[in-house]
Amino acid sequence: MNRRYGYLFLAPTLAFLGAVIVVPLGHAFWTSLHRVRGLNVAFVGLANYQRILADDAFWHSLGISVTFTGVSVGLHLLLGLALALLLDELRFARTALRIAFLTPWMVAPAVGATIWLWLLEPQFGVVNFLLRAAHVVTAPVAWLGEPATALAAVIAVEVWRGVPFVMLLMLAGLQTIPAEQYEAAAIDGAGAWQRFRFVTWPNLRYLVVVASTLDIINTIRHYDIIGVMTAGGPAGGTEALPVLLYNTAFRSNRFGDAAAIGVLLLLLVLAFAIFYVKLAKLDRLETSSR
Amino acid sequence: MKLRHRVRALAAGVLIALSGAAIAQQPIVLQWQTANLTESQYEPIWKKTIAEFEAANPGIKVEPVLVARKDHWTKFVAAAQARKAPCIVSVDLTTAAYNGYLMPLDKYWNAEPAAWRKAWSDDMLKAMKWKGQLYGLPIWGGTYAEIYNRDLVTKAGLDPAKPPKTFDEYVAWAKKLSGNDHWATAVLGGKTDTTTRVLLTWIWANGGEAFNADMTEATFAKNPKSLEAIKTYLGLVRQGLAAPAPTTTNYLEQTNLYAQGKIATMRNAYWAIAKVVGDNPAMAGKSFVTPIPANVPNAPTLATVTASSISASCPNPEAAWKFIKFDAEKKWAIERAKVANWMPLRNDLADDPAIKADPMLAQFVQIGTHARSYPLPHPLWADIAANDVVDAVQKALLAPEKTDEIFRDLDARLAKKLKDI
Repeated sequence: MNRRYGYLFLAPTLAFLGAVIVVPLGHAFWTSLHRVRGLNVAFVGLANYQRILADDAFWHSLGISVTFTGVSVGLHLLLGLALALLLDELRFARTALRIAFLTPWMVAPAVGATIWLWLLEPQFGVVNFLLRAAHVVTAPVAWLGEPATALAAVIAVEVWRGVPFVMLLMLAGLQTIPAEQYEAAAIDGAGAWQRFRFVTWPNLRYLVVVASTLDIINTIRHYDIIGVMTAGGPAGGTEALPVLLYNTAFRSNRFGDAAAIGVLLLLLVLAFAIFYVKLAKLDRLETSSR
Repeated sequence: MKLRHRVRALAAGVLIALSGAAIAQQPIVLQWQTANLTESQYEPIWKKTIAEFEAANPGIKVEPVLVARKDHWTKFVAAAQARKAPCIVSVDLTTAAYNGYLMPLDKYWNAEPAAWRKAWSDDMLKAMKWKGQLYGLPIWGGTYAEIYNRDLVTKAGLDPAKPPKTFDEYVAWAKKLSGNDHWATAVLGGKTDTTTRVLLTWIWANGGEAFNADMTEATFAKNPKSLEAIKTYLGLVRQGLAAPAPTTTNYLEQTNLYAQGKIATMRNAYWAIAKVVGDNPAMAGKSFVTPIPANVPNAPTLATVTASSISASCPNPEAAWKFIKFDAEKKWAIERAKVANWMPLRNDLADDPAIKADPMLAQFVQIGTHARSYPLPHPLWADIAANDVVDAVQKALLAPEKTDEIFRDLDARLAKKLKDI
């Protein structure tokens, strides 16, 4: 009887999750089994998957996604941790600086990307103007015109946008480290680096893994910045998987193929999500055994 | 029945009647989406068109859907997939019709008087058809020509009265028009179909073809004349005769560069001049136009045809047709030509004094007498023009030494794609 009530109480949540997650995912998978040309639809089974997995463009995009995500997440963590340590040490203007550092994260990604698009404009952009004024470059640089610089530019903007979130997580982690540990280390004669290595880092390690996993999940499916700044160009040089998906669906009008790319991307994200869930479970076990 | 129940029933009846009347009085709302509603030079005209249409048709409201040019097609596709597309749209007609996004207009067209229908040539209407059915009414167009900044041409010691007529002469001019921090022209390589439009003008001007007659085969590399034209055009960048960053240069960047005097010439349609003057009013009256330099006699240029269509999901097609007809009237065609520099497509306007009074428009009309209609009539054209061809152009701009190989790959890729319908 109690069990039945339990299911009854769960039912609204399950219905809601079913409506907003299971049904759309099911529909996306169903679409991926069809050849969709506009409103004309025909069942093709796994043909879309076969075609995509045999297409160089997919593997190229996967490579771009891995590079974009790997470099972005690495820099998010590095800079986020550095800024968090800096803010943790500060005794004045901490709140003001925290808000200032958080600003890029508060701006909508598409808006931020549009601002950077104009800043990086070759002829009339501020970045080239400043670089030329400082005699760093002699001719306008087409930041978004070459695959290598375009990828670097979108990564830089992603780092600008994503660092504050990691910084916030790290700062929260730093503030949970008991002051006694630092005092004990200081008594033992530990310097700044040793305090970081033997006190801060072991306390933050778990948080770093969690933050990086969440950040990977968040970054690998990120579309906005690349979509606005380069739309995947030039010559596919920044066409990460979400951009390939968008271009396949809305530019090439091949919704079946796009849905198949979406399902493959989901599997990729799911792998990291499972890793994250396992990590969280491990933490719960460790906490309960303490 | 008790009095209380009678009063309740009466009140309910009155409420139902009132709400029914309110629903009956709701005007029909037609959404209207074109790529051009966000262009400042067109804004006063479309606002006036809507105001006058609504005044003449009190039961119909027209709601413009303002979308950035580069998002126009994707927004339309997303809405069409959801069966919520704006009623009146101007899109790549063959592609949209093939995908089932548009409604055939034959029923409405055939119901119109023959005298009215005669305003559009059979050739033009042919371009509006897919599988024998009419999907759009031609509203305006644009002929591609070479537009020069007279001041910069004169400053370079060149004579505006003797513009280049061949590729070699064009390159010779380009060398004189280029200098420190300014260039002769801009090569378009940005990710829109404008890149493909300009590329086609170069190919056709050299006697080449990008496709075979029935569009089952691509000949960008297969046809030596096409490849030669592509190399000449894209080679302008390597020679320092075209503005840097071609892979991010589109219509907006090109007209911006021209308006700011950074480039001396641009290949574009008449509307670009209105855009340039809008960006920089000091450019008014400073441009002159010539036919595209060509290596073969009577080489065709490219003429875009923009049509108004009714989306398949439109719940009020009669009202939509009414607006399309209104928008196609002579009065608006002349307004568009005079203010936004969009060329009228009606036969009965060729000799109109208002059109003839504009010498530059007359020149564009003259250049357009030998033009090919664009978009090309293939169901996958929107994708091919904005993606496949642009990708090849971008790759060739980044690795010019591989141009042959890149366009051979494009031919092979398109050979499969053109048949995949």
